[in-house]
Amino acid sequence: MAARGGKQSRSGLSGRKGAGEQDEEEPPLQAVLVADSFNRRFFPITKDQPRALLPLGNAAMIDYTLEFLTSTGVQETFVFCCWMASNIKEHLLKSKWCRPTSPNTVHIITSDLYRSLGDVLRDVDAKSLVRSDFVLVYGDVVSNIDVSQALQEHRQRRKMEKNISVMTMMFKESSPGHRSRCEEDDVIVAVDSKSQQILHYQKTQGLKKMQFPMNIFHCGTDEFEIRHDLLDCHISICSPQVAELFTDNFDYQTRDDFVRGILVNEEILGNQIHMHATKDGYGARVSNLLMYDSVSSDFVRRWVYPLTPESNFTDREGQICTYSRHNVYRGSGVSLGHGSQMEENVFIDRDTSIGANCSISNSVIGNNCTIGDHVVLDHAYIWNDVHIASNVVISQSVVCDKVQVKQGVTLNKQCVLAYNVVIGPNISLPEGTVVSMHHPEEEEEDDEDEFLSDDAQVDQGKDKTKQKVFNPAEVGAEGKGYIWRASSLDDTEEEELSHCLWGLVLKPDPESDSEDSEPDGPDDPVIPSPEMDDVKVFQMEVLGTLQRGLEENIGCDNLVLEINSLKYAYNITLKEVMQILTKVVLEYPFQQQGPQLTPSQYVKLLLPLLKKWAPVFKNYVKRAQDHLDCLSAFEEHFLEQESHWTAMVKVLMNMYELEILEEEMILRWFSQGATNDQSKQLRKNQGLQKFIQWLEEAEESSEEDGE
Amino acid sequence: MPGPDKETDLTERLEAFLSDLKRGGSGTGPLRSSAETARETTALLRRITAQARWSSAGDLMEIIRKEGRRMTAAQPSETTVGNMIRRVLKIVREEYARSRGSSEEADQQESLHKMLTSGGLSEENFRQHFAPLRANVIEAINELLTELGNLEPAVRLSVRLTSSATASFLKEGTTDNIAMQALEHIHSNEVIMTIGRSRTVEAFLKNAGRKRKFHVIVAECAPFCQGHEMATNLSKDGIETTVITDAAIFAVMSRVNKVIIGTQTVLANGGLRAVNGTHTLALAAKHHSTPLIVCAPMFKLSPQFPNEEDTFHKFVSPHEVLPFTEGEILSKVNVHCPVFDYVPPELITLFISNIGGHAPSYIYRLMSELYHPEDHEL
Repeated sequence: MAARGGKQSRSGLSGRKGAGEQDEEEPPLQAVLVADSFNRRFFPITKDQPRALLPLGNAAMIDYTLEFLTSTGVQETFVFCCWMASNIKEHLLKSKWCRPTSPNTVHIITSDLYRSLGDVLRDVDAKSLVRSDFVLVYGDVVSNIDVSQALQEHRQRRKMEKNISVMTMMFKESSPGHRSRCEEDDVIVAVDSKSQQILHYQKTQGLKKMQFPMNIFHCGTDEFEIRHDLLDCHISICSPQVAELFTDNFDYQTRDDFVRGILVNEEILGNQIHMHATKDGYGARVSNLLMYDSVSSDFVRRWVYPLTPESNFTDREGQICTYSRHNVYRGSGVSLGHGSQMEENVFIDRDTSIGANCSISNSVIGNNCTIGDHVVLDHAYIWNDVHIASNVVISQSVVCDKVQVKQGVTLNKQCVLAYNVVIGPNISLPEGTVVSMHHPEEEEEDDEDEFLSDDAQVDQGKDKTKQKVFNPAEVGAEGKGYIWRASSLDDTEEEELSHCLWGLVLKPDPESDSEDSEPDGPDDPVIPSPEMDDVKVFQMEVLGTLQRGLEENIGCDNLVLEINSLKYAYNITLKEVMQILTKVVLEYPFQQQGPQLTPSQYVKLLLPLLKKWAPVFKNYVKRAQDHLDCLSAFEEHFLEQESHWTAMVKVLMNMYELEILEEEMILRWFSQGATNDQSKQLRKNQGLQKFIQWLEEAEESSEEDGE
Repeated sequence: MPGPDKETDLTERLEAFLSDLKRGGSGTGPLRSSAETARETTALLRRITAQARWSSAGDLMEIIRKEGRRMTAAQPSETTVGNMIRRVLKIVREEYARSRGSSEEADQQESLHKMLTSGGLSEENFRQHFAPLRANVIEAINELLTELGNLEPAVRLSVRLTSSATASFLKEGTTDNIAMQALEHIHSNEVIMTIGRSRTVEAFLKNAGRKRKFHVIVAECAPFCQGHEMATNLSKDGIETTVITDAAIFAVMSRVNKVIIGTQTVLANGGLRAVNGTHTLALAAKHHSTPLIVCAPMFKLSPQFPNEEDTFHKFVSPHEVLPFTEGEILSKVNVHCPVFDYVPPELITLFISNIGGHAPSYIYRLMSELYHPEDHEL
C-alpha cells in the first residue's frame, strides 16, 4: 500500500517515472543540445541539410538525441542552431517534442553568430539559461545511456566539495579496434581510480608515442589508471560554472580546449573534471561517414534498444514497421519483387518497392524509393525518394534524397551521392567518389561564409552551374552532378575534406588533424595541438591577442590583462614573457605581410605599432633585468634578419624615444652583451655604433647638466 | 465538468505512460512488473472514463478503443495492457446492458446459437443515453482495480458483488491469491525447479516455504540471469536453493518432482509466451513426465494466438550476449538476444490463477468469460 501511494504521488508530481526521487528536491534537469557540428565533415551533403537533420535509420539524428535526453529524465532542453537553423526549427516544431504534452520542454535558440561550442556556451551564460547542472550534448549523438547514476555521482561530488568538480564526461567502455570507435576521437585518459578524476586527457590522433606530464604522477593519489579502452560519447554533465568558464576564457572554442584548459589550470583555479565510464548502454557521436555507417548498423542490430526501427520513437503517423528474423525491418507498403532477398540487417521504410532478384544486406533504405531488378546493395544507405534502376551495385555508400541512379551503375566503396544527383547509365564510380550538384569551385568561393544562411548562395550557385557542363565521363551520359575529387585539387584542405567525410586519416599528422577540428573561419586563431610546448603556444596566443587588439582596437590595459592571464595559463616566467612579447612585436610586420619586406617598409609598418603598444611594454619592462631581456630578444630577432640591420637602429631609437628602453640599459647591453661572433658583428654595425655614440654623448651631457 | 486543465493533465499522463511503455524493459528505466502495468492501465482507463467527453456507451467504447490501440502499439510485447483494455470494454458493455435492463445472465451464458450469430448487440444499440452510466462504469473499474491490486479478490468474474460479500476470505491482490494455493501443490521434501525470476512464483514458493521444507532448483536464465536474483531472494527466506545453468536443465530434471514457472502471457490456445529457455525446460519436463505448473494471474490471459502477429517476439540489445567491449569481433558477427519463448499447451499440466487451478484446455472458457468476443480485435 505504502509503496503504491508513494509511486502515485511521484508520478503525479513529475508526470513521469524514472526521474527518481532526488528530482523532488533538485531543480528539473536541463540540457543544452548543440545542433551544429561547427565543422564540415559531411560536406557537401550538409550544404543542403544541416547534419542534425540527416536521416540515420530513417529518423533525423536530432530525434535520437532528444529521445535520449527525454528518456534520461531531462525536462528542459535548449537547442542551439546555427547552420540552416530554420530547417531545424521547422523540423522540431513538427515533431513530438514540441507538443504541449511532451515531458521535455524544448526551446529553440538560433543565431548566425555561433561559430563554436564556446560561443554557444557563452550565450548560455549571457542569457543565464541554466539554473543547475545540465547535460551538454551534440545534435548528432545516438545513445540510450542512463545518465542518472553519473548525475548522482556528479551532484554528490559537488556537494562534498563545493564547486570543485565542474564536469563529468561520459565514456563507454569499448576496446580499441571497435568499429564504433571514431579514430579522430580516440583518447587516452589518465584517471584517479578512486575519485574518477581526470588527470590527463589526450587525443591519440594516430600518435605512436604518448607523453604524460610528470606532475600527474606526483599528485598524491594512491592509484591511477591510464585508459585507452574508452569511447567518447560526447555527453557531458556540466555544472553552471562551465558556461561561466567559457565566458571567462573567450579563447575556448571546443570542449577539448575547455578540458585542456581546466586540467592545465587545475592548481590555479582549482577546478576538476571527472569521468564516468559505463558498460551498459550505447552512446556514440556520428562525427563522420564511417561513424554514420557503424552507428546505423548498430542501430539496425538493436544495440540502441529500446530505440529500434520498429519502436517508432519519433511518434510519426504511419511509421509502423515490422520486425522479422535476421534483423529485417519492413515498413508498411513495402513491396519486394520475385526472387529478391533481404539477407540480414536490412531496414526498408514505407512505400518502397524493390524489383526482382535483388540482394540486399546491411542496408537502410528510406521511404518512397524505387529499386529495379538485379540490384545488389551492401552497406548502402539510401535516403528518401531515390530511384535506382536495374543492374546497379552499391557497396558502403551514401545515396541522398532524390538521387537517380541509372542502369548498370556500380558504386564502389565510400561513394557519396549528394542531393538530386543523377548518375549513369553504365558507369562505375571509383572508390571514395563524392558527387554533388554544387560545384566544388563554387564551394571554395563561398568558403568563408559557410555558416551564413544558404539560400542566396544556392541561387547564385545555380546560375553558375548552368554555365558549367557536367562531365559525362565522370557521371555518365545522362548524369548530373560534379565530382568532388580529392586528387584533382591541390588545395590540401580539400584533400583532407574528402577523407574526413569518411573519417579516414591517411597520414597521422597531428598538425593537420588539429586544424580540421577547427571551424575554418579565417580570423580564428589557430589553436595548437597539445603536443606543442607551452612557450610556443604562449607565443601564438600573444600574437593572436595583439592581432585582435589591433583589429578590434582593444585598449592596452586590456591587452596587458590578457597577456597576464595567458602567462598564468601556460605557466610562463616573466623573463619569457618579455622576450616573447618583444619577438612577437618585432616579427609582426613579417607575419602580416610576408618575409619579403624591405627594411624601410618594415620600419614604416613597425613604428606605429610600437607607438601603439608602448604602454604594454612599459608595463612589463621595469627592472634593469627586464630591459636586458627585452634587448636580448631584440638582438636575437635581428640576428635572424641580417638584411634588416639597417632598420635596427631606427627601431631601437624609436624604442628609446618611446621610453620603452632606457639609455643606460642600452649602453650596458651594448658593452656587455656580445657573446659570439655574430652578435659582435652586429655591434659593429655602423648605424648602431653611431646611435650608441650619440647616446653616450647625450648621457655625458645630461650628467654634466646634473652637476 | 472536466475543465481544460484536467484534460491536458489526462493527455500528459497518457503520453508519459506511453513513453514509459516504449522504453520499458530496456534496463534504462526501472522494470515494472506486469501487475503494476495492469494496475496503471486500468487506473488510466478509469481516468479516461471519468474525464473524457462522452454521452453514450458507444462513444466511450470508441474512445477507449482509440487510446487502447495506441497503448498496445507502444509496446506490443506487453499484452497485459491490451488485456486490461478488453476487460474495461467488457465492463462498459455489461453496465450498458444492465442500465437497459436486460438480464445479465442471458448475456453471460451465451448459447452456442448466440455465439454463431455473433454480434447480437450491435454498435447502434449503445447509443442510448443513461445518466448513471458513468458512475456505474467507474465503480466497476474500481472493483477491477481492487481485484488487481489490494484488499479484495473480487474474483467473481463479471458478476457484480457488493464489496462486503467477499471481503472476508482473502486479504490481498492476485499474486497473494495465487500464493495462498501453494500448500495444495508443494509438499514436504519435494524438489521444485523453476526458471528465471517471476514475482508470482517467488511469492508462491515463499508462501509454501513458511510451512514446508523443500528444495528449489533455479535455472539462471542467461543472459539476463534473473535466476540469480530469484535464488538470492528465496535463500534469504530460508528455502534451500540451488542455481544451475540453463544447459543443465535436462540433466537435473530426473531429480525434480515438479516444475513451477511464471509467464509473460497466457495465449488463447493455452500456450505460453514466457521467458527465454522455458520451452527447453518444458520439453525436458515432458520427457521425464514431470508435471509443469504455470502460475499466472488472470490478467495475463490474452485472446492472442501464437504467430498471429509479427510482434510476438521481442529482441533486445545484444549487449548481454556479447558485450559491446568485445571490439573487433562485433563487426564480423550478428548477435541476437530474444526475450521470449513459445511453450505449446501440450507441455503444460496445470495453470494456477488467482481463481484456482485450470487445465490448458479450459483456457478458452475463461477467455470467453473475461472478454467479449467483439473486443478481441481492438
